[in-house]
Amino acid sequence: MNAIEKKPAKLSISTNLGRIIRTVIGVAVLIWMALRFYNVLTVEPFGADVWTRIAISGLILGGMYALIAIGYTLVYGILFMINFAHGEVMMIGSFGGYFAFEILKNIPTPTADDPSLTFINAYPILSIIIAFLIGMSLASMSGYFLEKIAYRPLRGAPRLVPLISAIGASIFLQNAAQLLFGPQRRDYTNPGILWRGTGWTVEIAGSPVIITYTGVFSFVLSILLMIGLFTLVQRTKLGRAMRAVAQDKKTAALMGINVNQIISQTFIISGALAGAAGVMWGIHNGLINHYVGFIPGIKAFTAAVLGGIGNIPGAMIGGLTLGILETLGPAALGIDFQLKDVIAFSILVLVLIFRPSGILGEALSEEKL
Amino acid sequence: MKTKHASPLQNGLQAGAIFAILIIFFILTGFNETAANLVGRVLNNQVPNQLPATINLVIFVILMALWCGGMAAKKPELDAPDRYSDAVFAGAVAGLLAGLLSAAFIYLTGSIAAAGTDMRGYFPEMSPDYINFYLLNQPLMTAVLYHFGIMLVGSTLGALMARGIGRSSWRKKLNQEVSSSTKKLSQNSAFERVMNSKYSQYAMFALLAAALIILPREWGPYWNYLMGTVGIYILLGIGLNIIVGLSGQLVLGYVAFFGIGAYTFGLLTSPQPHAIMMNFWLALIAGVIMAAITGILLGLPILRLRGDYLAIVTLGFGEIIRILLKADILEFFTAGPKGLRSLAQPTLFGQSFSTDVDFMYLIILAVIISIFIANRIEKSRVGRAWLSIREDAIVSQATGVDTYRYKLLALAIGAAFAGLAGALFASRNQFTGPEDHILMVSINVLCLVIVGGMGSIPGIILGSFVLKGLPEILREFEAYRMLAFGALLVVMMIIRPEGLLPSSRPLMENHKPDSQEKNQGEVVEDAAHS
Amino acid sequence: MQPILETHQLTKIFGGLTAVDSVDLTVPKGTIVSIIGPNGAGKTTFFNCTSGYYKPEKGEVIFDGMVINRLSTDQIAKLGISRTYQNIRLFANMTAIENIIIGQHCRLKTTWMDAVVHSPRFVREEREAVEEGRRLLNYVGLEGLGDNLARNLPYGAQRRLEIARALASKPKLLLLDEPTAGMNPQETHEMTGFIRNLRDSLGITIVLIEHDMNVVMGISDHISVLDFGTKIAEGTPKEIQSNPRVIEAYLGPGGAALSEKFLRKKHHDA
Repeated sequence: MNAIEKKPAKLSISTNLGRIIRTVIGVAVLIWMALRFYNVLTVEPFGADVWTRIAISGLILGGMYALIAIGYTLVYGILFMINFAHGEVMMIGSFGGYFAFEILKNIPTPTADDPSLTFINAYPILSIIIAFLIGMSLASMSGYFLEKIAYRPLRGAPRLVPLISAIGASIFLQNAAQLLFGPQRRDYTNPGILWRGTGWTVEIAGSPVIITYTGVFSFVLSILLMIGLFTLVQRTKLGRAMRAVAQDKKTAALMGINVNQIISQTFIISGALAGAAGVMWGIHNGLINHYVGFIPGIKAFTAAVLGGIGNIPGAMIGGLTLGILETLGPAALGIDFQLKDVIAFSILVLVLIFRPSGILGEALSEEKL
Repeated sequence: MKTKHASPLQNGLQAGAIFAILIIFFILTGFNETAANLVGRVLNNQVPNQLPATINLVIFVILMALWCGGMAAKKPELDAPDRYSDAVFAGAVAGLLAGLLSAAFIYLTGSIAAAGTDMRGYFPEMSPDYINFYLLNQPLMTAVLYHFGIMLVGSTLGALMARGIGRSSWRKKLNQEVSSSTKKLSQNSAFERVMNSKYSQYAMFALLAAALIILPREWGPYWNYLMGTVGIYILLGIGLNIIVGLSGQLVLGYVAFFGIGAYTFGLLTSPQPHAIMMNFWLALIAGVIMAAITGILLGLPILRLRGDYLAIVTLGFGEIIRILLKADILEFFTAGPKGLRSLAQPTLFGQSFSTDVDFMYLIILAVIISIFIANRIEKSRVGRAWLSIREDAIVSQATGVDTYRYKLLALAIGAAFAGLAGALFASRNQFTGPEDHILMVSINVLCLVIVGGMGSIPGIILGSFVLKGLPEILREFEAYRMLAFGALLVVMMIIRPEGLLPSSRPLMENHKPDSQEKNQGEVVEDAAHS
Repeated sequence: MQPILETHQLTKIFGGLTAVDSVDLTVPKGTIVSIIGPNGAGKTTFFNCTSGYYKPEKGEVIFDGMVINRLSTDQIAKLGISRTYQNIRLFANMTAIENIIIGQHCRLKTTWMDAVVHSPRFVREEREAVEEGRRLLNYVGLEGLGDNLARNLPYGAQRRLEIARALASKPKLLLLDEPTAGMNPQETHEMTGFIRNLRDSLGITIVLIEHDMNVVMGISDHISVLDFGTKIAEGTPKEIQSNPRVIEAYLGPGGAALSEKFLRKKHHDA
């Protein structure tokens, strides 16, 4: 056996070329980033106040992305499909919240001190709760019907088919919203305690930095919802069932789990989270229209992939990371803020090239040969 | 074991709910008006600049009610009991529900309008005139009762008709007659011989050639522009088909290659910002080559990704390209949001060849050449390799196909077609800008490939006509075009995911000429009988 | 003579599970070697490592004197290893003959440019490929079915088509993963003869994963037994049949004694 000639066979050219290109790209990007960052730090350095402001807005944005990303990852983990219309579900949620506030601000509740007081300011906390309830329920229902009408009939079809259906549903929902409400942007009327732009003022590096009430509210709520979801998935019967179905549908069915029902419930939950994100978006950013869900939807999917598709904590981390990178990126690299979307997509491309399984790694059932 | 059937009550409630939502949606989006206009076109009672006659709307509501009843009375399972009374009951229930809900809604909106509130802040369509219109110009309660009554009666009637038509023996006999005569016709060897004979094929080709030569001269610049756009989309479809349909890689950023082709052409021939002023043909070729190179460069690092990831990455890439083209800071190179103007026009033997007719010929020529090339590549070792990658990439590689290389090849060739389309598009418009290269274009092309029939060139041609040509003809419904588009995608995937004209595999063992390709149905039949 | 395939301490680990544990295997040229063992023993994983789908954590796979661990599956196919699959994996929406012609892919040479211009070498190569396809169809007994979509063929025909596809690349070594699964005794008998014929007239070395002991004992020159990823026995069919460790692997502890009792009883009754 020792006398046998062993020569290692050569790897194919394409594999080598691919590897070389990948390394070249990686190194080039890193060098470029380092240079630009150095430039920014030395030529005209931003003060700590600017960085703080940016970091804060990044976190807030990240929280919303995380909520939407969880929805993507839940659906992908269970059905192996990209729910292209998830961004529209968020949009529906944001419209729900909008109309809730509009109605509430027109219910007169006059008092002796303030004859023009309306419900929304008389009971602000209740109003917020109502807005979220309405937004989240509308979004959940949309998710439920979306699955029932556009995805369920296609269960088991090759991957491309449900994706096209999802794209169609997304286009349909966007345009339905446009036809119903018109293309103009609408402004959220928050209750007084959450008036946009108001907040605590903090002195950092000599300049005032406003930590907005809406921002804090959104971020805290995002974290609470994430914790809630995590608990649901890890500790409850429903969560266990969801994880089982994501692992292996057939076996789960054999164990007595009603797979269809679990899938519906997954869509309801992911819709609720997206709806919450939609209402938050309206409260914090103000302007919404039929298109408001589209780009955040794509970015949230980016975030889900970034954290590791199918992985719920991954979606959370991915969302927060993407939010921060998207806001810090242009500043750190000295690039025009116009290009912030380029940053987001470039991150996506780079992550997928160098670590396709994401930050925390994928959590999907294996394909067997 | 007794299977559970949906009871007539459930059917009725379901149909009623669906139609109630539909009606409310129609009211809020102003579709009522559009539909009534359409009815007016048919009845020829339109008065320009005025709302259509209320009778048109009444007709439309009646039709909706009939349809609602028909849906409610539909027998979903084969072995469900089939009684007249059930059907009528379902129809009545549907009509009741839909009628109640829509009447309530009309009452609600009517009263709000009567109270003087303008709802147009929230729903831009709801002008007082429009509200009056769907109140049929009657007092509120009368209108409400009318709507309710029409829905109830119409739905019941519709259910009756549906069940009646469904069961009647004369309809069954008619169906049988039609299917047997068509079968006889297609099985008639004489007919087959005529259809497949060389002579009739030549005749059809000659007819097509004549049409392609004469029509562009005759039908005027509007049609030339429209059909030219259809042609450009056919080119795009052919290219994307190679990537998605043949090699199975889902690419959602195809517009990036379109943009590279257009911008390469534009930057080389526009006086601003770089006045290179290259010759049309050279710039065209440059556009094609640049697009192909971009395809390869994009593919090299990402082709190992799983399908869905590839889709999103390419989507991201397409968006990156668009944003970069639009960015102000890159204006020195790309001319930014303004776009590139005064691009080169084609020349033939030194003379300008750029009228709308000329461009139409040019596009037709490009399409023919592309179809030729794509067809030849498909029916070769390369095409088969692509198909095997699509079918089962892992096994394909284990069978000896270097999947990485072939995927790259597909990407490069597909991108090249897009580059050609982009350059032609830019030249024809004498302009290209970032707004020409948006995600929607990628989605449009993807849909026309899938709806037309993945992997099939006739399917792509049909798909292109349907998706680009049809909306022009149905210009009434311009506002609803995208809505219908989205719905069409979902519906197509559910009822016919293989597309309108799916591809069929060529016969190789039994060496029949291409003209006698069996369709899939016959292949199955043969297998069953052999 | 150099064995056509050798594995040295081949090890494949998935997370916490060692699916294949330090397996040494030697396959002499021109023989039929069977790999048997209870379900989950790692047999298909072993095939996957050999054909290049999995990269082993430890150990080497040596084919015809070359270490092939790091190669991709298409390179390995080009070197001369073909395989079939436990759950048939044909190209479902391509016709039967197209499946076979794809099998020839690594032996054909024309490019897309040849295709566009229909160069003489393209025309010739295509014609020859189709003829070879027909020949292989006949060889596996699927004559006339070539233009049917692979997914429309009956089960037995699909199994034979998969073998035809594997043969199309003119392999030196053929890995067959449960080729008689789902077959009735008549079909099994035909398949057994067919496999033997492959070795005898085509000179192909065959490695077989099988559960049907009649087939295994009938045609194998040599048998290796895997259990929980390790090789627990190897030898001629006769040696394996009476190996108590093998019997216990299949029947469980005490199985050897049980089997002995059964055999003694049979002799007693006879």
